[in-house]
Amino acid sequence: MSAIAAPPAPRRAAAPPASRPRRTGARGGWLAQTAGVAGLLMAWEALVRLLAIPPAILPAPSVIAHELVQLRASILSAAAYTMSSALAGYVAALVVGVLLAVVFAHWATLRRGIFPFFVASQAIPVIAFSAVVILWFGNGLLSKIAIAFYLSFFPITVSAVKGLQSADPMLVALLRTFGAGTWQVLWKIRLPIMTPFVFVALRVATTTALVGAIVGEWFGDNNGIGTLILQSLHTEDMVRLWAGIVACAVMGTLFYCTVAAVERRLLWWPAAALDA
Amino acid sequence: MAMADKLTLERVAKTFDTDGHRLPVLLPVDLRVPEGEFLTIVGPSGCGKSTLFNVITGLLPPDPGGSVAIDGKVTASTLGRIGYMPQRDLLLPWRSVVDNATVGLEVQGVARGEARRRAHAVLKQFGLAGFEDFYPFALSGGMKQRVALMRTFLFESDIMLLDEPFGALDALTRNVLQEWLSNVCAKYRRTILFITHDVEEAIYLGDRVFVMTARPGRFKLEVKVALERPRSPAIVTTPEFVVLKRQILDTIREESLRSIAAEQPEERP
Repeated sequence: MSAIAAPPAPRRAAAPPASRPRRTGARGGWLAQTAGVAGLLMAWEALVRLLAIPPAILPAPSVIAHELVQLRASILSAAAYTMSSALAGYVAALVVGVLLAVVFAHWATLRRGIFPFFVASQAIPVIAFSAVVILWFGNGLLSKIAIAFYLSFFPITVSAVKGLQSADPMLVALLRTFGAGTWQVLWKIRLPIMTPFVFVALRVATTTALVGAIVGEWFGDNNGIGTLILQSLHTEDMVRLWAGIVACAVMGTLFYCTVAAVERRLLWWPAAALDA
Repeated sequence: MAMADKLTLERVAKTFDTDGHRLPVLLPVDLRVPEGEFLTIVGPSGCGKSTLFNVITGLLPPDPGGSVAIDGKVTASTLGRIGYMPQRDLLLPWRSVVDNATVGLEVQGVARGEARRRAHAVLKQFGLAGFEDFYPFALSGGMKQRVALMRTFLFESDIMLLDEPFGALDALTRNVLQEWLSNVCAKYRRTILFITHDVEEAIYLGDRVFVMTARPGRFKLEVKVALERPRSPAIVTTPEFVVLKRQILDTIREESLRSIAAEQPEERP
């Protein structure tokens, strides 16, 4: 018996060069974004100076920047405080959201029974709910974490359920013919397919978790960016108020960009590949 | 005498229940497949071929009274015992060629390192040497199909069901893969059931060809292919081959005409 000849494979030179796709144009995007922000700040600065708008109405970026530098120590510690509760609530929302989704995706009766209550709970305005949470958990970090969690976990659960259910039935059938049980199908197919769906919700949740943490502070705390903003409001310190806003914007942007970067690292394969 | 039967189907039928409406898809089928046989099944679309495969793999239970036995033994389910390759390659886009090929082994509990070692050992035979770390999006249709075949081959089972594995490929690629599959199978001596609607493919690859009829599906004709192996692609123009092809095509044609005739009265209001 002769050895089996391999079928003609495309020559390596003609084959795609990299095993994983490379992202292009990222640097150009950064440049455009930086230029955009710089342009906006310059226009703002020029407008305030030309029209001589008093800082009590709208402070110039240079004034806000000066304030940020002056208060850097307290702003940094306030930001760290707010960010830690937002992050803790966010991670809890991710873990609980995905676990709930796994439960819901596998037990349809449970989903039909409990899901309506979830939807109803999301209809409660966060302000009304926050007051209760403060009374339950006190003025500390825990109550902020709870509010950040509450605002974030629902969209994550919904996206995760959808993701878990979007696995190709043929693919599931194939794995079952190999003898795979529910957990192997979950681990090898459903969870990877779910991931892009969850990341859509995770991007949005960066904002809601931060909002939750800040709103929580408004109901009583003596630390954090939310508190700094509230105090500035009481003392009518417009410059410090804007410093707080800038701190929020920077936190939110960094948070979002970090999550987006993690997503790019984890989900490098082309999304369309499964539809082929 | 003949070798022992690897796969035995006894009165395997399938009826679907849709809205209290009983729809027979597969009429009772009896089938004995000796060890090492390459059996091909041809039939028009909708003849219940895929349903037959779903029953054999254990994805669907047969109607009561029917049974599927491996090595003469009927077990609760055949899931995990038969290597199945569906029409689509169904590769996981986040896994490389090697890691796609080892999915079945992983499910069977083979350690990753060992599974990879086995995959590397056969890469060359599947024409994928040098492509082990490539991801599916970078592969051609023919290569993806070979990765899927490799996945089925690596899965530890004596029986393989291939459901139109080359159906989505262009004719040239298909011919090359047919010849290659024929050689690979001759070497490994696996028992193979192969579905196709290409009559030439069925004869070229098969030791036996079954013709199925549509709605409800049943086995209509059995043809033994006594052509010597290895078979060259040129065999399709030999008189023996053409005779077999003629016989099978006639049966399919006759059956198609009958089903068209049977459908006509229903179309009148």
